[in-house]
Amino acid sequence: MRFVLAFALVGASLSVQPAAAADGRSLYMDNCAACHRPTGAGVPGAFPALVGSKLIQGDPKEPITRVLQGRGGMPSFHDELSDQQIAVILSYVRQSWGNKGKPVNPTQVSAQRGGKRQNTKAVLQAH
Amino acid sequence: MDRGLLAAGLGVSRRSFLEGLGGVGGSRLLMAGMSALGFGIASAQAAPPALSDGRGKKVAVLGAGLAGLTAAYELSKAGYDVTVIEARDFAGGRCQTARKGFKLTELGGETQDCDFDEGNYINHGPWRIPYHHQSTLHYTKAFNIPLEVFVNDNDASYVMFGRGKGPLAGKPIRKGQVAADIRGGAAEILAKSVKQGALDGQMTAEDREQFIAYLVHEGYLTNDLAYKGSEGRGFDIAPGAGTNPGPGKPSTPNSFTDVLHSGAWRTLASVSNYEQQKTMFQPVGGMDRIAKGFEAAVGKLIKYSTQVKSLKQNATGVEIAFVDGAGKAGTLKADYCICTIPLSVLRQMDVQVSKPFKEAIGAVSYALVGKIGLQMKRRFWEEDHHIYGGHVYFDDPQINSMTLPSTGFQGQKGVLLGYYNFGAQAAKVSALSPAERRALAGRAGDKVFPGYSENIDSAFSASWHLIEHNLGGWAQWSDESRASAYPILCEPDGRLYLAGEHLSYMTGWQAGAIESAWQQIAKLHARAHAA
Repeated sequence: MRFVLAFALVGASLSVQPAAAADGRSLYMDNCAACHRPTGAGVPGAFPALVGSKLIQGDPKEPITRVLQGRGGMPSFHDELSDQQIAVILSYVRQSWGNKGKPVNPTQVSAQRGGKRQNTKAVLQAH
Repeated sequence: MDRGLLAAGLGVSRRSFLEGLGGVGGSRLLMAGMSALGFGIASAQAAPPALSDGRGKKVAVLGAGLAGLTAAYELSKAGYDVTVIEARDFAGGRCQTARKGFKLTELGGETQDCDFDEGNYINHGPWRIPYHHQSTLHYTKAFNIPLEVFVNDNDASYVMFGRGKGPLAGKPIRKGQVAADIRGGAAEILAKSVKQGALDGQMTAEDREQFIAYLVHEGYLTNDLAYKGSEGRGFDIAPGAGTNPGPGKPSTPNSFTDVLHSGAWRTLASVSNYEQQKTMFQPVGGMDRIAKGFEAAVGKLIKYSTQVKSLKQNATGVEIAFVDGAGKAGTLKADYCICTIPLSVLRQMDVQVSKPFKEAIGAVSYALVGKIGLQMKRRFWEEDHHIYGGHVYFDDPQINSMTLPSTGFQGQKGVLLGYYNFGAQAAKVSALSPAERRALAGRAGDKVFPGYSENIDSAFSASWHLIEHNLGGWAQWSDESRASAYPILCEPDGRLYLAGEHLSYMTGWQAGAIESAWQQIAKLHARAHAA
């Protein structure tokens, strides 16, 4: 049993890519683009634009809170993304499409973890 | 004498022990008993309010989903002059069924044109009706919509938990085997502990004896209180004729530790929730039969392909500005309005309401939900695995369940549900193209059923948060918004009444929409008559 566990840990450490290598654009495309669109333009009347958004480019606390907690039609990514990944995505969003925000570092995300989550339903079945 | 002693001493702890147990399972049994007697929590509303003498008062209903259709049907029957405005060119709202010819274009997505074979379909919106949703069942009966059982629990279907540990992780295991082994193993441990006196401080000798008897019964334990398998988990060789196979060969249970670490037991409580209990129904031919039933009765009142632009109101009435299917602007004046537009959409509209009401509309979240229907060339789950309906539980959160059809048994083809995902996972999957979603579902299916992906010959997927006029699967109230915003929205703002699943404690269920409409039209009627 102990042997199996040790093996699993070694296996895990070998197979996990350094999160720092994760690419902002590809993480954005996987997690955000369905609603906010690949161009960051959102869908008028449905999903807010990230392009030119003051909220996005301003104090990183606000966008970090929204990603961690969710809001309205936006789900919580609290359990879906690491601090590193959220930092990489938000840095990408704050500096793409003409946006001029400062990058976000993972410690800023860590500092805001533990807040109340919304929009989560860890279920196999619903309705 | 004994009783007195028990009450004074031991009896207290014994009683509290048993009551403690009651807190877990007993209350549910108690409620079931109450329901059977006719005053349980299911009672909600089983029939529409009796309305009459509407005196031709005008009511504008916004949205021809089940809430709007219910309001239109009952109010028009009672003599109100009802007009329904519906953005789509068909009625039903989320009560939709995709079959040949059904088209869907998600926001920013390509158009999917469902090309399932004749007779095949997927209910990509609501898909099941619990037996206690008497309101939904009221209308299926009223409109003569035939029902069939929706197989919501199937002992033969697989649990496939790739994220568990141990030798059973990532292997499809029959649900009935998981249940037999985990219950048998747990009963064995408990029975032996009790026998050895572990609960002597809490139980009388008589309790102990009965409790062990129960555990033996529950876990199919042997005389020495061991679990060595049970008939219920199936056979390695099934019993048959003659001497060969004759009595067959019993199956060998998986070890308790292996089942425990596989995590597969997590699925066992899923369908025992109140809203998932048997008996579950579905309309024969597709859920949209319910919408069609209403449409036959009130279709003439509906202005299709018409979008609401604004709602204004004053002390005497409401005025709704709209643009019809031909792009022509118009207004509808009425004495009252029942608005069933989802709050996810309504919060972005120009609606004249008080500030607290407006804020309350914005306070609710909507669920991100994705489903995919896969038409299979062959019903391999039936032919090769002997699974007739039910859910394959799969612990990849982009999949969750593969649900096998409860209709068309033993036919050639069949449409199964390939995934049912929520939240952030639904967001991710919805970023994929229809072809990529189909491939994702296919890869998962291959882990459970060899040849699954090769059998897919047509797919249709829906991501409700990307569907115009809905922007989400259902309302999700937090405890906080339930306490603050919800009660505000349940009352009218001036002459505007909201209705829909979002204004019920059955969010996401058709019964929530229907019963919300019943409640609001009863209020409207009382007010109209008092006026």
